[in-house]
Amino acid sequence: MKRVLHAIEYLIVRALLCLVDVLPVRACIALAHGIGDLVYLLHGPRRRIAVENILRAGLAPDEASAKRLARQSFRHFARVVATSIKSDTWFRKHPPEECMTWKIGPELEAILEDPKQGLILACGHLGSWEIGGQVLSLRKPVVGIARRMNNPYVDRLIQKRKPRHRFELTPKRDANLLRLASALKEGKVLAIMIDQNAKDRGMLVDYFGRPASSHTAIALLHLLTKTPLCVGACMEVAPMKFEFRATGPFRFAPSGNKDADIRRILEHLNGELENAVRATPDQYMWGHRRWRLTPAQLIAAAEA
Amino acid sequence: MSRTEILAKLRALMANAIPVARTDGEEIDWQQVSEGDAIAKLGFDSLAMLDLLYDIQQSFEIELDPRDLAQVTTVGHLVDAIAKHKQA
Repeated sequence: MKRVLHAIEYLIVRALLCLVDVLPVRACIALAHGIGDLVYLLHGPRRRIAVENILRAGLAPDEASAKRLARQSFRHFARVVATSIKSDTWFRKHPPEECMTWKIGPELEAILEDPKQGLILACGHLGSWEIGGQVLSLRKPVVGIARRMNNPYVDRLIQKRKPRHRFELTPKRDANLLRLASALKEGKVLAIMIDQNAKDRGMLVDYFGRPASSHTAIALLHLLTKTPLCVGACMEVAPMKFEFRATGPFRFAPSGNKDADIRRILEHLNGELENAVRATPDQYMWGHRRWRLTPAQLIAAAEA
Repeated sequence: MSRTEILAKLRALMANAIPVARTDGEEIDWQQVSEGDAIAKLGFDSLAMLDLLYDIQQSFEIELDPRDLAQVTTVGHLVDAIAKHKQA
């Protein structure tokens, strides 16, 4: 039964990919908005999570406003998928400098220009993360960690379609952190999504004023390799026009207390990402369970 | 610093990492851990290993290059990596 469902899903995705290929950009975006609206209407649990997250983050004064923002967020996510697929052909016809502007400080510019200097990019489900990785890889090799899709047929299809340049994606399940640390020493950018729920292996750090289980690997990689950190996102400013915005570089000296150091780093990164999300909340994926805690974490959070 | 001293200190660091390392409920007698033991079998996954390497750096006051650690699979390999820095 599962295989049949996967096959049906695959055929739908394949048909959509063909549509995206033949349609002009504006029509693709309109199609994405339609799909986003449809998912928003039909996927009740996901919609409720998004609305609740927005309300609890204090980004909407009432439920009606939260619903409007949630719907924009669903549309944005569909647009991220459509533009990522479209980007392959688009970037062949339009040079990156025509499509991307950079809003980063001179110190970060210097790091990107230095082929020997690695960089840890803390990012989140904000803006167009796929396109951000692609365009960044034109300046410096990028290594990222990605979760495989549940449907293996769709996963293979999407992986085959994604333009890569010097953007290498490691499946989350096989991610060898030591190899990722080596990549930093080879002058690459390591892009890590910091707004994923680390479940029982994470450290509870406030994000939008609520404790969220955060992966500690990014902080450990920084402490271990002394590679500078930055927080960034590729924001969509117009159809197929983007601005890469980043803050940093940040460097943290070890204090002798490992847990306190990790906490300090994660709090700082979460804070920077939160500021970026607050600036453009409609380009954030609100429908994920970022704040879901395990029973043990709920007790720890209540005691803190 | 002798290999025996390095191994003794390393055992203590590994034992401290227990809350992070997953041992599947099996208790490990860290004093019995020898250079031939595979790190993965002691319960160290990728994240726990990173944690341990940071502790090693702090405790031995050395700076490890992750590229030199790509082939590390046993406790003995770790002792080698530390000894190399302590002799240098």
